[in-house]
Amino acid sequence: MSVASSAQVPTAEMRNRFGRLSAEWKEQSRYLSNTAQMAMLKPYQRIIGMGWPAVPLILEELRREPDQWFWALEAITEENPVPADAAGHVRRSADAWLVWGRDRGLIT
Amino acid sequence: MTGPALFPRLTPSNHRVTSPPTTDYNCIAWSAGDTDRWWEPGVYWPVAGESYGLEVLQAAFRSLGYEPCSGGVLEPGFEKVALYARDQFYTHAARQLPSGKWTSKLGRSEDIEHDTPDDVAGGVYGDVAGFMKRPVTSG
Repeated sequence: MSVASSAQVPTAEMRNRFGRLSAEWKEQSRYLSNTAQMAMLKPYQRIIGMGWPAVPLILEELRREPDQWFWALEAITEENPVPADAAGHVRRSADAWLVWGRDRGLIT
Repeated sequence: MTGPALFPRLTPSNHRVTSPPTTDYNCIAWSAGDTDRWWEPGVYWPVAGESYGLEVLQAAFRSLGYEPCSGGVLEPGFEKVALYARDQFYTHAARQLPSGKWTSKLGRSEDIEHDTPDDVAGGVYGDVAGFMKRPVTSG
């Protein structure tokens, strides 16, 4: 399935749901360092379960505050635009995903 | 700063905040002396592997020259790390300071200095699962 056909404009309800789940995840994962442990938290799993409509919302959040959203983005999109030399660099990884999102018209 | 359920052994007198919060690095990176990256198996990690258990954390520090040791008592000529685990996950690493106290990065929150490894155990990080040490190198 292509990005163009699978991506959807998130509805207001989706935005509200994402905002709630994102806040819950940030609170629950605040003191965690193990990315797998962070990704297993229910709010994060529910965001992954939202599928492609969550992608622009995650990218907007990533632009606002770089954080460990890369697991979710990879899980949903099955892509990883982060260059090898940026692996582990949170801000450079975020920048790579933002470029990826702009190139596909998912964010402005 | 921290809830009692998450850090039941932290008290105002046994720790001090030493940095602002940041998402740039995590406790594993901090214990390894890296403040530029968030260390994660399969993404940025010194050894191959994509598991998230204690063994991959031990392997990472072994690759940095650390060997298992019996405890966290300050030993002249050595630097130590304390490794933590809960359920099937490694959860945390803390690094001993030359003073004998310890330093931890708490997730995406602050760095703290704490008096003993046990101060951050018993809650969100589970228990201390082991210690490792390596010779201090000059320069």
